[in-house]
Amino acid sequence: MNAMTATRPRLDAPPPPRPAEGKPLLELKGICKTFPGVKALDDVSFAVWPGEVHMLLGENGAGKSSLMKVLCGAYQADAGEYLHKGETVEIRNPADARKLGIAVIFQEFSLVPYLDVAQNIFLGREFPSRIPGLIDRRRLYREARAVLDLIGLDIDPRTKVHTLGVAQQQMVEIGKALSQDARILVMDEPTAALSDRETERLFAVMRQLQAKGVAIVYISHRMAEVFALGDRITVLRDGKLVGRAQPDETTPDALVRMMVGRNVDMSYPRNFTEQPGEIALEVKGLSAKNGIRDIDLTVRAGEIVGLCGLVGSGRSEVARAVFGADEITAGEVRVFGKPKRGGPDASVLADIGLIPESRKTEGLALIRTVGDNLAVAGLPKLFPDKLFSPGRARRAAEDLIARLRIATPSSNQSVGLLSGGNQQKVVIGKWLAAGTRLFIFDEPTRGIDVGAKSEIFALIDQLVAEGAAVLMISSEQAEIVHVCDRAYVMRGKRIVGELSRAELSEENIVRMGMHDE
Amino acid sequence: MSDQAVSSPAPRILAIPGVSVALIGLSLLFAVASPGFLTSGNLSNVLVQSVILLLLALPMTLIIMTEGLDLSMGAVLTLASLVLALIVVSTQSLALALLGALGVGLVFGLVNGWLIAGLSIPPFVATLGTLGAAQGLALVVSDGQSVVGIPRFVRLIYSGETFGIPTPILIGAGFYALFHILLYHTRFGTYVCALGGNRDALTLAGVAWKRLLVAVYMLGGAMAGVAALLMTARINAGHPTAAIGMEFDAIAAVALGGTSFEKGNGWLLGTLLGVLTVGVLRNGLNLMAVPSSVQVACIGALVIAALLIDSLRSTRP
Amino acid sequence: MSTASDAPVRAPGFHVSREVQQLAYRLLAVALLCAALSFAAEAFFTANNILNVLRQASLLFFLASGLTLVILTGGLDLSVGANIGLSACFAATAIKATGSPALGTLAGLATGLVIGICNGLMVAKLRIPSFIATYGMLWVLHGITYYYMAGETIHGFPPGFRQIGSGYFLGVPIPVYLMLAFLLAGTAFAQRTIWGQQIYAIGANPVAARLTGIPVDRRLILVYAISGAMAGVASIVFLARLNSAEGDIGEAMTLPAIAAALIGGASLFGGIGSVFGTFIGALILTLVLNGMNLLEVNANWQPLVTGLIVVLAVWLDMAGRRRG
Repeated sequence: MNAMTATRPRLDAPPPPRPAEGKPLLELKGICKTFPGVKALDDVSFAVWPGEVHMLLGENGAGKSSLMKVLCGAYQADAGEYLHKGETVEIRNPADARKLGIAVIFQEFSLVPYLDVAQNIFLGREFPSRIPGLIDRRRLYREARAVLDLIGLDIDPRTKVHTLGVAQQQMVEIGKALSQDARILVMDEPTAALSDRETERLFAVMRQLQAKGVAIVYISHRMAEVFALGDRITVLRDGKLVGRAQPDETTPDALVRMMVGRNVDMSYPRNFTEQPGEIALEVKGLSAKNGIRDIDLTVRAGEIVGLCGLVGSGRSEVARAVFGADEITAGEVRVFGKPKRGGPDASVLADIGLIPESRKTEGLALIRTVGDNLAVAGLPKLFPDKLFSPGRARRAAEDLIARLRIATPSSNQSVGLLSGGNQQKVVIGKWLAAGTRLFIFDEPTRGIDVGAKSEIFALIDQLVAEGAAVLMISSEQAEIVHVCDRAYVMRGKRIVGELSRAELSEENIVRMGMHDE
Repeated sequence: MSDQAVSSPAPRILAIPGVSVALIGLSLLFAVASPGFLTSGNLSNVLVQSVILLLLALPMTLIIMTEGLDLSMGAVLTLASLVLALIVVSTQSLALALLGALGVGLVFGLVNGWLIAGLSIPPFVATLGTLGAAQGLALVVSDGQSVVGIPRFVRLIYSGETFGIPTPILIGAGFYALFHILLYHTRFGTYVCALGGNRDALTLAGVAWKRLLVAVYMLGGAMAGVAALLMTARINAGHPTAAIGMEFDAIAAVALGGTSFEKGNGWLLGTLLGVLTVGVLRNGLNLMAVPSSVQVACIGALVIAALLIDSLRSTRP
Repeated sequence: MSTASDAPVRAPGFHVSREVQQLAYRLLAVALLCAALSFAAEAFFTANNILNVLRQASLLFFLASGLTLVILTGGLDLSVGANIGLSACFAATAIKATGSPALGTLAGLATGLVIGICNGLMVAKLRIPSFIATYGMLWVLHGITYYYMAGETIHGFPPGFRQIGSGYFLGVPIPVYLMLAFLLAGTAFAQRTIWGQQIYAIGANPVAARLTGIPVDRRLILVYAISGAMAGVASIVFLARLNSAEGDIGEAMTLPAIAAALIGGASLFGGIGSVFGTFIGALILTLVLNGMNLLEVNANWQPLVTGLIVVLAVWLDMAGRRRG
């Protein structure tokens, strides 16, 4: 529930042609897709009309990405039919999808970094020259220039794609889709990595496309965008279609209820600390190679301090710099009074723990067991004589599994098989085993179902009740407001303000965090 | 989520000075250290002797661009040259012999391609295996002996001149031009870059990339076959361990030239410069009567230095 | 998501972990090979041949055990064969010069160790991919060894020294005892020290390992140093057995050492494998090559067979991963 975008002015685009009559551009009926052990799509029916923005909502694992892959031909559906303008068609491979005018833009772009823009746009559809076997390069660049002009991207088509920023790469992807006469554009969280200005440009391009009758299927987690842009909304849950709605006839809460299947309790029980303890973390004038500048902040034992701001404001960079994962260029970090220098190994010795944003790639060894992952950070502390005892490790792991209520059949279970919420508990447990007293959380509930979120927060509450200190980064303003004792707001890789408990509100966070334009 | 940094523009601009500096630097070094270096005869020698390496380094560039590696090239070249020598000695037919050499190369290229593209075995493991196979076969076929009695018309391919230019240089230039066109003016070349940069992009574009990957390795094998002709002509024999280890020189040349081992970043001219650098190094060290084994050590050190400079230059997370 | 209200419950029944299962299959393979070879070649089941097999396997095992640790971190050490060459030549020179086998042994071990540390520095500090760094090192070592030996051979070592390679104790060759000692030490290191656990963690996910406070650079240097040192050990035993040192000694050992580790279940992707598995892998490979010798197959086929085994082992590993 990203409140910040709700305060942006509503797009004053003319309303798109209402799909009152006529056949939908594309209709899916009863699509099923099963993988071993998992029903990714279960009897999903879905229709898209020309010129509309169709919002696709659902939690992680609800089936959105499977639906996208089925649409673009990367997966073949096991059952169901496709109708294009009322006629039955087949989508067996990407070529079929392309012929129907379907183009999908995934979050990881399908661009080749060391090829130039033109080569990327026309990958697989290069223009043959009169000499057999060769490419007509002049035509390639001419046509690419035309495509770029169409979307208003002012770059040389000979530019290598890896030198472009994320927003420009996204535009190239859109250009690629348009050059294939895409009539249906599917976009997966397109604004996730964009700045405000770039987002506005994207919306402008989208409006242009809508006016031409292109339909856009838009996957987003941001309620503000859903209501500002969407013409119709479809909600998936556990592979099934659970609801359809129109923005002017529904509310964010109703949508969340559909996504989650039950009433969402957004109030996380928190016992706010009256008297915070000693200073656990003191950061002065910190600058680092990752771009942060002149950061000052303090965290005391017993409190949860938030770190908020827009995407790109530098919050994760602060976390990584404090933890020693990124190199510091200036300033000082003091932990429980003692200066801390060096990398992650020094941090762990100083009783700091980092719960990273991407726990699967940075927080866990997926091929190892729950027990292995729980023990790994605490090895020097659990076994000061350097000799590892599997029995003792297992007992320590079982203690943690019980204490944190991790749902796993045993400590020998491969950690990759656990659900997102339980994996996060393992990451937290690993730091408990290491005797951590200062926890840095980077998006603690990302990719975790709503039910498990409150468990995680209850856990964090317990940690600080027992005397730990917590620095928490979150993009969900509501989380920060409900959970934190205080919060710092970042903008442009610097801290621009601090909000006390009384001042902590979503409006204030947004106000401080936005660029003044 | 942290910001996506905009990558530094055209890192290859930084690489140009690198390998050119090495080339010019070494040339100056040897010019000073060894009076015989800077003569037109010797320089021509350097060019001619570099051609065999060039024939290997050209396809190796493409292979490395696909994030692969071919450790078997030297052994395949050796086997191919043995086969070529045996055929030409017994049939006196250059055409048949060349066919045999190409056949050997293509077969091994196919096997490599199948292991890597079909069975998804990591390239250096797969080609390590085929290296063993080729080496073993070379020993079996030759029974450890050299094949002698190579007809003169073969020898002339290496030592002769065409239109006043040493034939090998023409062959090298011809293949360089061919690869240049292949890499920069055909769909194949574009796809080779994509194979290393983002294979999924090819799948989504509907391109059958597995076949292409096999083709890349078969190209490597075929070039090993062509190089076998020059090799046999050069040493006037088929020798069971003639080119063992030459793939290392080829990989070194490609690495020196700026082609990186990831993401499909390749530069053909850089490979040419890298080949010349290795050639100059070997030639200069030869003139200084440094034994071959030490030369290889120097090349190894040079590559490590190049990689070190490269890693210092790029910003690592 | 559901929460577990009780402590984790183990399902009743006999639990065998996946690792133990894999080792059991491999032991079975050893048994089957022995049975097959006893039928195929009458010379197989003689005391002489069996002891020979064990001695060959130990040489292989010295090299492969250190290599296993490197492979566990997701790396590869292609320089071990060349390492043997240089270490053996230095050791030989030292013995000849000082007349003391002890000093010679020290020289060999030290050389192996230094080479290993250099590899470790290249991989950890210079961030050169391990197969490139060690491949380059391989050629550098070759060059130095050949130059140093200048085509000559050093031979004739004191009989006391030769016992290390050729001697017997209670009817069993001494290298076999060394092999068992290193098997014990290696297994203890990998499974019963925190460094061993950290090495497995590094192989499973190097990024996460670093963020867990494991000093990854230091551990990487450690495993390459051990690999180098074990090459040093192998060089001494080799030297003692062959009673001579030439430039190309040990050259052909790299591929079989890698094969032994892979047959033993080590995964090139890191995080999976064990020293005991490598021990069984060394046995299996030696049995296969021994069988080929007894059946009078041309020795030139051996590199081919070894290469094929490596490819097969990797393919099986990847197939297993896709399933799991």
